[in-house]
Amino acid sequence: MRKKVICAVLCGMMAASLTGMAAFADDEAKTFTVGFDAEYPPYGYMGDDGEYTGFDLELAQAVCDLEGWELVKTPINWDSKDMELDSGSIDCIWNGFTMTGREEDYTWSKPYVDNSQVIVVKKDAGISALSDLAGKTVGVQAASAALQVLQDEEQQKALADTFAGLQEFADYNSAFVELQAGAVDAIAMDIGVAKYQIENRDNGEDYEILEEHLNSEKYAIGFKKGNTELCDTVNADLDKLLADGTFDKLAEKYELTDMVCLGNDDSEEASSEAASSEAESETAAETEMAESETESAAE
Amino acid sequence: MSLPQILSQLSGGMVRTIGIFFLTLIFSLPLGLLVSFGRMVKNPVLKNLFKLYISVMRGTPLMLQLMVFYFGPYYLFRMNIGGNWRFIAIILSFSLNYAAYFAEIYRSGIESMPVGQYEAAKLLGYSRSQTFFRIIFPQVVKRILPSVTNEVITLVKDTSLAFAVAYMEMFTIAKQIAASKTTFMPFVVAAVFYYVFNLIVAVVMEKLEKKLDYYR
Repeated sequence: MRKKVICAVLCGMMAASLTGMAAFADDEAKTFTVGFDAEYPPYGYMGDDGEYTGFDLELAQAVCDLEGWELVKTPINWDSKDMELDSGSIDCIWNGFTMTGREEDYTWSKPYVDNSQVIVVKKDAGISALSDLAGKTVGVQAASAALQVLQDEEQQKALADTFAGLQEFADYNSAFVELQAGAVDAIAMDIGVAKYQIENRDNGEDYEILEEHLNSEKYAIGFKKGNTELCDTVNADLDKLLADGTFDKLAEKYELTDMVCLGNDDSEEASSEAASSEAESETAAETEMAESETESAAE
Repeated sequence: MSLPQILSQLSGGMVRTIGIFFLTLIFSLPLGLLVSFGRMVKNPVLKNLFKLYISVMRGTPLMLQLMVFYFGPYYLFRMNIGGNWRFIAIILSFSLNYAAYFAEIYRSGIESMPVGQYEAAKLLGYSRSQTFFRIIFPQVVKRILPSVTNEVITLVKDTSLAFAVAYMEMFTIAKQIAASKTTFMPFVVAAVFYYVFNLIVAVVMEKLEKKLDYYR
């Protein structure tokens, strides 16, 4: 008898948790959910008032203002970004997201920041060129674009092989402390982040960025593969924001003026991007693909 | 950045951390008792089922379970996981995980009771449920309190695992402030927070132990 009661209670709990799951397919009122890494200043970070801010988030807000959407800023765990995007808990990844090398994995907006991977060293370390890094220990963020560059045969793998070792770390704060303490001799990272760190650290003047860059790459907004509709809308809004000066004003505010590239070389970019004029057939094919994808998903 | 500023930014996260803590306890303590019953039934099928449950819940990392519960509904059933699901998945996985640990603690307490007490109760005309709730369980609670305290203290620190599914609990926010302000100060505050929280837990549990320390 008792066993039956226990069984019933347990079954009840299971059922309750299952219905709980189903109840969460809520209808959203035109929200635009941006996923970002909140430990990535100046693109996305926590401001003094505790609100999330940054160049990318303010830009996203401007797009939402144009469309009348409500912006939902969802900080994500960078390692799970694909799962968050896939499962639909975010609409896009908009956070200094490197497009170069990942072209096939997402539906990309127009690139808006010209980024480079650079090396940061201590000023008195006597390292002034990439070749001086031979036999040194270099720090790099796990799962970062810089790490990808250093591991890619076609890019800087040969250079990385001359290092004494690559030390992966989780966040830039600890990386800089390691650099200061001598645990690593140099750190490879995005130029925008490097500038922010040097600007904001107490002993920022001790560090310098090597003039020689590892590579040059572009930031864009990543949408789920096949979500061209949302991507096109945001692209059009970015153009508007560029035309009315909002984009440049934001770039100036975050000291990224010499890095932004939206509209700079539009004609050149159009070849790789699905610009509406010349790549219509391509877009159509993509839409078809997206449709068949949705179908198989429904099955 | 001043200390009061850091504190005020962390306060929202502290509320969420405390929320995970209490909700997990509220659900996992009773659930653990049920699981321990399941673990001790004579029916071999049911018994092994619960053994498997405990084995899986204790044998895999909580961080992984969090991700399975949060992303699972989408990957398995293509369900929309927006809205409150993030929080619900966290409470669900914490509760189910901790219930497995509590179940074994309950079992250790229940099985340590001498058979003679059951026999005496039967002779005195107590029903099985009366025997358990009036005679056995109060003694079990007294015996297992130190082990429960251990588990509860671990829970306080485990709340930081919620960062795996990007829930903005206190430690996640501390990391974010540390990143934007390029300082380690928030971690000091976080350490003090966890320590004080656990100090309170320890003191409360000690009081409780003393209060239950009758018949001596």
